[in-house]
Amino acid sequence: MKKALVTGKRRDGNLVEFVCKCPEIAKSAVPGQFVMISVSTTLDPFLNRPLGILWAEGDYFSVLFEIVGRGTSLLAQLEKGDTLSLLGPLGNGYSLDVPRALLLAGGRGIVTLHFLARTLKEIGISISMLFGIQNRSEIVLSRYMVNCAKGVQRFCCEEEISGVFQGTIVDALEDYATVQTIPEGTGVFACGPEGMLRALARHPLLENHRVEVSLEAVMGCGFGVCLSCAHKGRDGYLHVCSEGPVFPLSEVAW
Amino acid sequence: MNVKTRLGALELANPVVLTSGTAGYGKEISPYLDINRVGAITIKGLSLFPCSGNPPPRIYESASGVLNSIGLENKGVERFIQEDIPFLETFSTRVITNIWGTDEQSYLDVARVLTLVERVDGIEVNVSCPNVEKGGASFSCDLASLGSLIGKLRDVISKTFIVKLGPMKENIGDVMVLLEHLDVDAVSITNTFPALAVDVSTQQVYFSRKTAGLSGPAIKPLALRMVYEATQASDIPCIGMGGIASGTDALEFLLVGARAVGVGTATLSNPVASMEILEGIHSWLSERGIESVEDIIGKAR
Repeated sequence: MKKALVTGKRRDGNLVEFVCKCPEIAKSAVPGQFVMISVSTTLDPFLNRPLGILWAEGDYFSVLFEIVGRGTSLLAQLEKGDTLSLLGPLGNGYSLDVPRALLLAGGRGIVTLHFLARTLKEIGISISMLFGIQNRSEIVLSRYMVNCAKGVQRFCCEEEISGVFQGTIVDALEDYATVQTIPEGTGVFACGPEGMLRALARHPLLENHRVEVSLEAVMGCGFGVCLSCAHKGRDGYLHVCSEGPVFPLSEVAW
Repeated sequence: MNVKTRLGALELANPVVLTSGTAGYGKEISPYLDINRVGAITIKGLSLFPCSGNPPPRIYESASGVLNSIGLENKGVERFIQEDIPFLETFSTRVITNIWGTDEQSYLDVARVLTLVERVDGIEVNVSCPNVEKGGASFSCDLASLGSLIGKLRDVISKTFIVKLGPMKENIGDVMVLLEHLDVDAVSITNTFPALAVDVSTQQVYFSRKTAGLSGPAIKPLALRMVYEATQASDIPCIGMGGIASGTDALEFLLVGARAVGVGTATLSNPVASMEILEGIHSWLSERGIESVEDIIGKAR
């Protein structure tokens, strides 16, 4: 297990961001990868929690997570100065060899796409981003959208918020396509709830594009030994931790 | 200090064994753990043909425990031999292959293949998986069908022959006497415990196959009782397993009579848990000036 020092913490409602110092992880992490963090020093809960990497720079990286259960509640109690015990970076990241990119982020899916957007910008690849949330409680996530992609094309919410496009990310994509063509060769990257990814999988607008999605799964180990994180794939089960979490959308079945 | 131990004719450099299903086929764990340092690695349960396993969800966490319903997903024995044996040949650690079948014939077929593989030191037969229709649990339901299967397997297995037992209706002492009579070399005790999880948000049972197997520290006292009774009933060497997460846990199993200890679920949350457990055994023995791990096996009676 590696150790990371929590050097910063930000909490907005149920969302918690930790900035961590761990050169070993920060220097090798690529967008789309995750870490497995121990949430307890006792035997309960026993398993680590998989968290996507929000950004990595120099000796530092950050994770952003929502408190959804006992493990994340315990993790949220840690403070600046505490030490995390963790594994990572784990899994395979997004492809960076694209001429331009369209990023489709739904809710917490912003986490790994934020890292991707920063990285693509650094290497000079132009990006467009569509970001959607389900309701106003998630509005704090838009902070990460603004930070990463000045050229955000659409910000949408399923609930009515003044000044914000009302609808799902798919509605926003259709609206975007009425004013902007998606050039051939564009790398499309999507991360968000399963329903969103499923809708994108059969969307005609993306039919001729290479689309990569990052899947979320409950995990046991995070490094490929337990086979717990199976997701239906076109040719049998995919193992999210070791073969993913990023997959070509065409390989995923629903 | 001597931490060597034996399972019949098979000598282990130390008593810590990686259990089946928690170390992959060897390759998956080795970036994190030097598998030459464990007493043995037990490979993910192999069947004659590849098996896709159960539909997700496959894992659920309970208090100090983990329920799994993997369904014995594996690549099949032929692919294992092609893809993983060459990798394992670069290591000196003991390799135990775990096998399962859906009927006597399929158990025998996979055993016949593996017994010819030089790199394989032992064959552990799973007669106790709770997560598949006929993944062996049915064989541990009555002594007659268990005896028939094990007797036939004994005739084809020339490696160290280990039977993995789980919770069962039969008296474990009676099972041990039967296995001794059938000349089994060792037993692994225990497998996961059949358990259930309920999702209140959907008001449904969580797993598609309903029951799942509980492992982790939650089952340790249950496993200890089984190992205690099994090793009292028979001298067959026992690999004790079930919730071992520390050196102290491992020592408890050795003290009740296990000759080796299996580390499984603990590896999922810490890939080097087995090494920390081995160090725990070492330092406990050395603090007390105990020369050999043999000296404590079965001391707690």
